[in-house]
Amino acid sequence: MATKTILLVDDDEIFVEAVSAVLEGRYRVITAANGTEGLARVREDRPDLIVLDVMMDHLSEGFDVARSLRNDPDLAGIPIIMLTGVDQVYNVRMEVDESWVPCEKYLEKPIAPDELLAHVAELIGE
Amino acid sequence: MAADDHFAYIFAAELHERLRWFITLRWMAVAGLAVGSLVGPRMGLESVWPSLFVVALFVAAYNLYFSWRLGGRSGQERPLGGLRHCAIRQMVMDLAALIVGVHFTGGLQSPLLPFFAFHMAIGTIVLSTRLMYLIAGCTSLAMLLLYILEENGVLRYHPLDPLHGICSRACYLNMVSFVMALFGIVYLTDSVTGRFKERNIKLHEAKAALQERTEELQQLLDEIAEVEERKSHYMRISAHQLRSPLGTVKTSLMVLTQGYVDPGSERGRKLLEGAIERVDGLLRIVNDLLELAKIREGRNRAPWARGVNLNQLVADIFDAVSPLADEREIRLVPLVEGVAVLDWGIPPDLVFALENLVQNAIKYSLPGGQVTVGLRVTGGGEAVLTVEDQGIGIPEEFVEQVMDEFVRAPNAKAHAAEGTGLGLSIVREVVEAHGGRITVRSVEGEGSTFTVTLPLHHRPPEVEALLHDGNDGGYQTPTGS
Repeated sequence: MATKTILLVDDDEIFVEAVSAVLEGRYRVITAANGTEGLARVREDRPDLIVLDVMMDHLSEGFDVARSLRNDPDLAGIPIIMLTGVDQVYNVRMEVDESWVPCEKYLEKPIAPDELLAHVAELIGE
Repeated sequence: MAADDHFAYIFAAELHERLRWFITLRWMAVAGLAVGSLVGPRMGLESVWPSLFVVALFVAAYNLYFSWRLGGRSGQERPLGGLRHCAIRQMVMDLAALIVGVHFTGGLQSPLLPFFAFHMAIGTIVLSTRLMYLIAGCTSLAMLLLYILEENGVLRYHPLDPLHGICSRACYLNMVSFVMALFGIVYLTDSVTGRFKERNIKLHEAKAALQERTEELQQLLDEIAEVEERKSHYMRISAHQLRSPLGTVKTSLMVLTQGYVDPGSERGRKLLEGAIERVDGLLRIVNDLLELAKIREGRNRAPWARGVNLNQLVADIFDAVSPLADEREIRLVPLVEGVAVLDWGIPPDLVFALENLVQNAIKYSLPGGQVTVGLRVTGGGEAVLTVEDQGIGIPEEFVEQVMDEFVRAPNAKAHAAEGTGLGLSIVREVVEAHGGRITVRSVEGEGSTFTVTLPLHHRPPEVEALLHDGNDGGYQTPTGS
């Protein structure tokens, strides 16, 4: 079975480095530093899973990326794990109703490596 | 006591309510008069039909009119004066109708006479006593005139008892007791209700004062709530700014301690160094937050100094930042006209603020660029400091909020990674503490100009308070000149 590819989109390079280190043992990891680059990588590489930071240059850049993916019939099936350091400051609705967030999982930073791996495995297998 | 004051005890809403009640009572009077006019002739009072019926129609007519005038709007929306006039008109109409009624029901023998007493009592409660004495006088004169005209045969006398004629001499006594009764009732009613009226006025005044205080307090509470809201918003934003790098630090450390990355490896070192870098950034944010809090509270600051020479300050700042400018290949250009000396200022804060602006200008300039620092004095007694660069500029949508806490435009973040987003907030606080203002003009890609305007003769409240006590011993004399 071919190694599954995970796209990690986050503008914090140290965070990207840390999370890549966790995922790299089991998956192929590709990265992008912002939403635009992330979208381009999705179209190019067709990852099996996307780990997406909510807040990059704009407050809700991650949401915008997720929405445009979900609106594209070709790409809508790719599972998304959304990450945020936001404590519901900018989006109170998240807390109230997670279902509107266009993603499969919604995790708050800091991310525990084991937990992240468990979520990834649940979505795309080991 | 002026008539107006006397009226003051009965207030628009209350008077309006009473006038409406009188209208209801008057319909009973209309019914009474109508029934009397029909029943009277059967009891031997030939004169009451149709005269009393006509009086009833008349009363009904003006009652309808007053009812229409008072209807609709509530008492509060009506001016008190208008209601008072309405009350007087009702009283005059009632008394006129009564006198006509009395004429047809036996003059001074009329069974309607007690209703005069009723009107005098009610009138004294609702209207001013002085006015009621006047009305009692007029009513007495009208009754006297009626009696004289009837006695002299000018007006036909309608006896209550047809078997007897006009009551002769005894009726003079009736006239006297009638007049005495009118005045007596006004006097007695006034003496009984006068104290209540006064208390009512005082109560109303107290109520109005209380209302005013309550509104003031409410306004204050609203303001406090707003400040609290802003504070809490500020705290949430600050906490978030701290939380974001902390998330990265903790994630990195977990990855290292849980064995995903060997701390000794190149990657491990990179994560550790990244964590230290983030912690440094956190420390900078915490220090800037403390700085901001100190300026806002006006506590633990350097003391206010007299005669702060801004020219010297600018020269010092030039010396301080020129190594940075050289390093970045930025040309620093002074543009100084005249000498600007502030009456009062906190030199370290001013240095911090101006240095921050100049450093920013250098930081966001491109190599080979130029930063111009201008200083001039206006005729209006203001020092105008400008810091102009030809750097990356500020995107239009960020210009207005660039001095708000934690606001950093994406091009600024991309150009210079470090920066807490608090520097300009501190600058603004310093400028405002000196009674000045700061504005920014910027075009993305072309550069920014920050303009600080400081009044030369501003005297801060802290200094004012101390000078007022005749104690300025703690203040330094001119520095830096």
